[in-house]
Amino acid sequence: MSGETNKAIECSEFDRLLMEALDGALSGDKLKRFHAHARACSACGPLFAEIDAGRRLLRSLNEVEPPAHLVNNILAATAGLDTARLELPGRTVALQPAWLDRLENWVAPVLAPVFALVRQPRFAMSFGMAFFSLSMALNLAGVRLGDVHHVDLRPSALVRQYHMTAGRVVKYYENIRFVYEIESRVRDLKRATTPAEPAPRPEHQRKDNNTSQHEPKPERNSSWGDNQPMLASGRQDRLVTIACASRRLV
Amino acid sequence: MEDVQVVAALIRRCIAGDAAAWEEIVRRYHRRIYNLCYRFAGSGEDAQDLTQEVFIKMYKTLNTYDDERAAFMTWITSITRNLLVDHFRKTKHDRMTDSLDVPVSEHEDAMPLSHRMEDHSPAPDARLQSRETGESVHHALQKLSPELREAVILRDLQDMDYREIATVLRVPEGTVKSRINRGRAELARLLERTYKQVM
Repeated sequence: MSGETNKAIECSEFDRLLMEALDGALSGDKLKRFHAHARACSACGPLFAEIDAGRRLLRSLNEVEPPAHLVNNILAATAGLDTARLELPGRTVALQPAWLDRLENWVAPVLAPVFALVRQPRFAMSFGMAFFSLSMALNLAGVRLGDVHHVDLRPSALVRQYHMTAGRVVKYYENIRFVYEIESRVRDLKRATTPAEPAPRPEHQRKDNNTSQHEPKPERNSSWGDNQPMLASGRQDRLVTIACASRRLV
Repeated sequence: MEDVQVVAALIRRCIAGDAAAWEEIVRRYHRRIYNLCYRFAGSGEDAQDLTQEVFIKMYKTLNTYDDERAAFMTWITSITRNLLVDHFRKTKHDRMTDSLDVPVSEHEDAMPLSHRMEDHSPAPDARLQSRETGESVHHALQKLSPELREAVILRDLQDMDYREIATVLRVPEGTVKSRINRGRAELARLLERTYKQVM
């Protein structure tokens, strides 16, 4: 720097005195030497001029008048807030910042990029769809979100809830068992009062008959002929079916 | 009673639930906070919202203020600065589309900066006191990086001393001074460049 060799003052000294000079704290011989260096040094002079111009421009800005309704808006906004925390009896001004604020200050910079990413329209759309699906599923399952905040989560309440639910399940089971018992009794009574039907033929007899004559199977769909392959089943099953059908054709 | 004691009494009354004390605090500090928000955020509408947020935050955390650690004004400025930084991060995307032709705020006429700067005066110094210059400086201030902007605002517009600024910004005093000088120089360069482009 050209000013390094200046006799009156060096650039490092100039830098050190810069703030004092701008704040008007320099006087006498020091101030003279400072200005002498500013005039002589090609680096420090323009820098000082720029900083001084910037300072004067900033200080030329007038105070802006806030809107007339601002105070009322602030008072209205703070009127509804919970002041329970402030009104503790005998509480003096605390010396430590709230742990929640400290946590917020610590977490906010970490989460800021994540929130910036999440706020993008494509993610917003995905979240919207996910929320819609979830609300549909909950609705179908009979869960109403409005009731969630009424749920009592105290341990004693949870135990009571468990016993009440268990009782309801047992009662439901007992009721069903009672209905089945009644039904079986009624069935027994019917069987006892109606005349006996001829017993079904034994299984081996039916098998013998099948070998001699082809009886159509009642449960098979009539649209599916014996010689049609089952296209909807697995590959192996289909091959077996095709093989069976071709054997019959032969 | 001194101002510090008056403020301490107001805070105590406010913590005890005195609504009049809270109103007094709001009336005392809303102008200063509004100006800080306006100069940092650039828009009057944002400044209103931010000022309101500052007071809501202040109201909720008034019992955490420690008068031995910092002056009440420094504490309020810290809250404001934190909210302004959050606001800056949130609105980062919106500012990318900002241009010279966008009006700065409702405190100015709807004329864009490029039109306002079509002034026929020879040098910026001659227009130092004019309204147009004030608006140009305000607009140029928005172009500074947030670190430099907050430093020059606190020093040159809020008249805070270096130690208080260091407390608010949580950086050493040397860094504060360096940022202030860089901010001032950058602002002067920006305005000079803009005038050269327009004229």
